[in-house]
Amino acid sequence: MPETAKKRAARPAQEVVVQSGNEIAAMAAKHVNYHIMGYYPITPSTEIAETLDAMKAEGEHTIRMIPGDGEHGAAGICYGATTAGGRVFNATSANGLLFAFEQLPVQSGTRFPMVFNIVTRSVSGPLDIRGDHSDIMLAMNTGWIVLMASDVQAVYDMNIMAPRIGEEMSVRLPVMVAFDGFFTSHQKRRVEIFSDMQVVQDFLGPFVPTVTTVDPRKPVTIGPYMNDPDLINNKKQQSDAIIRSHAVIRKVFAEFEALSGRRYDFLDLYRMEDAEAALFIVNSAAETAKEAVDALRKQGKKVGLIRPNVIRPFPLEEIRQALRKVKGLVVADRQDNFGAYGGAMTLEIKAALQGEKDNKTMVASRIYGIGGKEFFVEDAEAMLREALEIAETKKVKVPYDYFGVNPGEKGFTPAVAFAPITEKESSGITRVEVSPEGKMEVRGINVRALTERPKRLAPGHGACPGCGIFVNLNQFLKGIEGFVTVLFHTGCGMVVTTGYPYTSHKVTYIHNLFQNGAATLSGVVEMFEERKKRGEIPKEEKITFLMVTGDGGHDIGMGPSIGAAMRGHRMIIIEYDNQGYQNTGSQLSFTVPMGHSTSTSNYGPYQHGKSTHHKDTAQIFSACNIPYVFTAAENNHRDMIRKAAKAQKYAEEGLVFGKLISMCPLAWRTEERISVPIIQAAVDSCFFPLYEIERGITTINYDPEEKGKKIPVADWLKQMGKTRHLLKTECKPDLETIQTEVDRRWARLKEMHKNPLL
Amino acid sequence: MTRSMTAVKLPVKNDLGFFEIRLESIGGLGANVAGKILTEAAIIGMGLNGAGFASYGSEKKGTPVKSFIRLCEADHQVRINSPIEEPHVLAIFHEALAKSVPVTAGAVPGKTTVILNTRKTPQEARDFLKLEGGKVGVVDAMEIAMATGSRVNMVMMGAIAKAAGFFDWKVLEDAVREAFGKKYAALMKGNLEALKRGHDEVKMEDIPADGKYPATPFRREEPKLGYENAPMGGTIYEVGNMRFKDLSTSRTGVIPLLLLDKCTRCGECDITCPDYCFVWERGKDPKTGKDGMVLLGIDYQYCKGCLRCTHICKFGALVPAKEAEQDMEAITVKQKALK
Repeated sequence: MPETAKKRAARPAQEVVVQSGNEIAAMAAKHVNYHIMGYYPITPSTEIAETLDAMKAEGEHTIRMIPGDGEHGAAGICYGATTAGGRVFNATSANGLLFAFEQLPVQSGTRFPMVFNIVTRSVSGPLDIRGDHSDIMLAMNTGWIVLMASDVQAVYDMNIMAPRIGEEMSVRLPVMVAFDGFFTSHQKRRVEIFSDMQVVQDFLGPFVPTVTTVDPRKPVTIGPYMNDPDLINNKKQQSDAIIRSHAVIRKVFAEFEALSGRRYDFLDLYRMEDAEAALFIVNSAAETAKEAVDALRKQGKKVGLIRPNVIRPFPLEEIRQALRKVKGLVVADRQDNFGAYGGAMTLEIKAALQGEKDNKTMVASRIYGIGGKEFFVEDAEAMLREALEIAETKKVKVPYDYFGVNPGEKGFTPAVAFAPITEKESSGITRVEVSPEGKMEVRGINVRALTERPKRLAPGHGACPGCGIFVNLNQFLKGIEGFVTVLFHTGCGMVVTTGYPYTSHKVTYIHNLFQNGAATLSGVVEMFEERKKRGEIPKEEKITFLMVTGDGGHDIGMGPSIGAAMRGHRMIIIEYDNQGYQNTGSQLSFTVPMGHSTSTSNYGPYQHGKSTHHKDTAQIFSACNIPYVFTAAENNHRDMIRKAAKAQKYAEEGLVFGKLISMCPLAWRTEERISVPIIQAAVDSCFFPLYEIERGITTINYDPEEKGKKIPVADWLKQMGKTRHLLKTECKPDLETIQTEVDRRWARLKEMHKNPLL
Repeated sequence: MTRSMTAVKLPVKNDLGFFEIRLESIGGLGANVAGKILTEAAIIGMGLNGAGFASYGSEKKGTPVKSFIRLCEADHQVRINSPIEEPHVLAIFHEALAKSVPVTAGAVPGKTTVILNTRKTPQEARDFLKLEGGKVGVVDAMEIAMATGSRVNMVMMGAIAKAAGFFDWKVLEDAVREAFGKKYAALMKGNLEALKRGHDEVKMEDIPADGKYPATPFRREEPKLGYENAPMGGTIYEVGNMRFKDLSTSRTGVIPLLLLDKCTRCGECDITCPDYCFVWERGKDPKTGKDGMVLLGIDYQYCKGCLRCTHICKFGALVPAKEAEQDMEAITVKQKALK
C-alpha cells in the first residue's frame, strides 16, 4: 500500500453530507457536545439554534438550549455558564454581536473559553440583513481569537478546532468562528464530517476548568474590582496569551490535518509563488476571486490571492513573508473604518509591512460588497487589474476608494405618491367625552363612516397574505384623530413597510432597533415638548406619538419600554402579539404560550414545544401604574377603536400600553382567510381576555363566561398547525397544565374586575 | 439515498465547469425545497459536486425568490458564490412573476431551456415571456399538483430533471422520499406521482431565435438613487410610495369577487383587509339615497388573495373566485386619491 493510502486508511471514517454553513455549525456543535448554548435569534445566524433545537426534539443531542432575552442576555448566560465549568456555544450576527459587545471583553478578560459563531452581516443604520464584515471587524479587538471560515467545510472544521485552541492551558481565551452571512450560512455544499462523534470527543478531550463558580469547597472571587496599577498587568497577561495562541493554532491545525486530511494554515496562499500583484480578501469572496486569478494567470499575468484563516492573532510574519515579492496589492475590505482611509484589513496589513525593512509592496484599499452586494468573478478581476497596474507603474493612483458604487441616475426625481395627510382630513370622526367623574365615553365609532379617515399606511406593503398586523394597525388607527408620528421596532411590521427607496408610511415614521424603541420615542416626545416651550414649534401643535412593536421587540426591548413607562412620557405603545419572532422564521418569544411549537421550541418525541408559560405584558405594564393599559383583538373591532380613542386621550397624561393579539397564518400554520374565528377562540377560551385598566381600575370588556361562550383552550389550540399536537394523548399533561394556567389568570382577572383595589 | 452505479457526467458545462439551474418563484411555492432536493440528489446520490442556494430576504410568503443549483463533476471545486447569470435550465414556478421580475434575464437560445408553469402552449409561453428563442417547456404544474394532492415544486422538479437530462430517476425519487419521508409519509404517493407527471407531461419545443424579441442579457440591477443623488441618511421623502408596487404576483390563483348588489356598505371588509384594497368614496348610497361613504370596488393591484374579506362578509357580497376566469383589468377599481 502506498504511504498516502495507508495514512488515509488510518484516519477515522467520514461521510459526505449536503448542508449549509448554519446547518453544519449546528452539526459541529452536536459533535462537540456543548453543555450549554445561550443564544438569541438574529438573521442570518438563527438557523444554527433552530437546527440544534430540531435535533434536540428528535433526541439527537442533549445540549441545554437557553434563549436569552436579547443578545446581551444571551452573552450573559454564556458567560455565567463558562464560569460554572463547561463547554459553551453561542451564535449571532451584526447588531446582535454589537448588543453583546460589552460582554466580549468580560469573557476574554476574565479568561473563560467558549465558542461564538459570528455569521457576518452588515451592522445597522440603516438596517440591512445581508452579509458584510462590519460586525466581525468591530469585534476583532475584544481579546477573542478570531478564525475565518471561508466555506461550509471550513465552518465544520473550525468549529471542531475552536474549543481545542481556546481551552489550551497556555491560552484560555474565547474563540469566534466567523463566516459569511447568506453566502456561506445559507449555501448548501458537499461537506465531509466525522461519522462517529466520538472522534471529535477524543480530539477535544474532556473540558478541564481552571476555576468554577460551582465548587463551594474551593471558593474563588471571579471578576474583582481592579483599578490601576493592576489592570495593565492583567491586560499584559491577556496579550501574552493571545500571542501564545499562534503556536497553539499551528499545532491544532496540524493535528486536525492528521485526523481529517484537510489542511489549514494561517493564510491560504493561492498562486502566490511568483505573484507580483495580489488581492487580499476575506472569506467567501476570496473563493470567488480565485476564479479571477486563474483567468488572469491564463493570460500570463503574475497574480495571486491571499485569504486569512485567522485574523486574531493577526498572522503578521506570514503576511510579511507572503508579500516579499509582491509589488502591487489591493486589499478588499467588506466594511469601512470610517475616516481611517482604509478598511480594517488594509490598516492591519499596512501596519504589518511597517515592520519589514526592505518591503516594497504598495497597497490600495477597496471597500466592496457592503450590505451583501453581490461579488462576481469580474469584480475580482477588476481589482486584480488594479493591483497589476500598481505593480507595473509603482504608483498607487487611488489609495482608498469604494468599489462597485453607483452615483445614481442624473436628473432622476422620485415620483410623489401622496400629499401629506392634513390635520383636518384625519379629524372630527371619533371623539372622547369625559364625565365630571372622569369616566370616558367614545362617540362616533361607525366603521362605515370611518372609511373616510385617511389610512396612515399606504397599500403596497409586502406583508404575507392574511397578516394580522395590518388589520390591527388599521383598526387601531381608525380610533386616532389628527397628526401621528410612529416609531416601529424592528420586526415584521417594520420590514414589510419600508424597503428602500419605498415606504408604506404616509405619516412620519422612524425605526430604531428593538432594544431601544421606547427610549428613542421618549426622546422624540420630550424634544417636541421642549421645542414647544422654547417657541420653536407652535404651542397648540398636537401630535400623537405611537410606538409599534411585536411581542419579540418586547423581549429584547422590555427594559426601555418599562423605563419609558416609569418616566411617564406622553406616548402610546402598542404590541402586536403574533406569538413569536415571525420575521426571522418563527422562533419562540417569551410570549409564546406553553406547548406551542416554534422553530426554536419544536415538537418531537423528546420535547413538546415551548416549556414555559407565556409572558403577560399587559400585567407588567399595569404594575408600572401608567394611566391606561388595554388588550384588544380584531374580532371585536368596535372595542379596539374605542380603546384607541381612549388611549389617545390618556396619552395626554402619560404612557399608554396596549396589547393586540395578531394572526400570523405562516407561523401559526392556519388558513389565511379564517383569522377571525381563531382570534375569537383565543378570546373565548379566556387565553386572551379583552380588558382595560384605567388609572389602576380593571374592567373586563367582554366576558365569555357571562355570555355562555367560554370554550376549553383545546378548542382554540386544535385550530392551529403549531398547536395541534397538544391534542395528542402523549401531550395530555401539557394540555392540562395550559388549561390550569389560563384558568388561574382568568380567575385572577375577574377578581381584579370586581375589586377596584386590585 | 440510492446511489448511481456509475459516475454521472454532465452533458454540457459553462466556462467555469458548471451545469447551472435557476428557479424563479414566490415564497411559499417550495422552490427552495426543490433546490435543496435537486442539490442533494446530485451530490449524494449521483456523486457530483455542487452548491444549492437562494436569494434570501426576511421570511415572507408571496414575495419573489430565486433558487440556484450549481453542479460540477466530482473532482471539480466549487469556489464561486455569486448568483447564476446564464442558466442551462431556467424554471419559472409562478407565471405572474414575469409581470414584475425580469425572470428571463440571462436566458440564452441554444443554451437555456426555459420551463414555465402554465396552461399555455410553448409558442404562447414564448410570446408571453418575450423570449428571444430556444427550448421552451410548458407544464400545468398547478393542475397536476392539485390532481395529485402534491405541490407545484414536485411537478417542476420532474420537468427540470427532464430538461437537464442527466438526473438519475431512482436517485431523485429517493431524494424526495428522504426529504419528506418521516413527516409527510401520507403525501408520498402524490408527491412521487407529481414528480413523474412533471417529467412526462412537460411539453418541449425548440423555438428559433427569429428576431421577434430581443435578447435579454443578465444585468446587475443598479438603483436610480445613488451616492450623488440619494438624500443623506437614507431618508425617504416620498411618503406612501409603496403604492407604486404591484402585489398581484403574490396571489396564487384566487381572488375575492365583489357583488355590489348584495353590498350593504357596512364597512367590515375594510376592517379585515390587511392590504387596504377596498375603494370608498363619499357619495349617495345606491339603496337609501342618503349621503355617506360608498364602496366602489377592489383595487386588485394590492390584493394578495388572502380571502379574509370573503369570510367576514355577512351578506354574501364578497365571494372567492378563480383569477384566471376573471377579466382583472375590468373588475379593478383604482383608488381615486391614488391617481
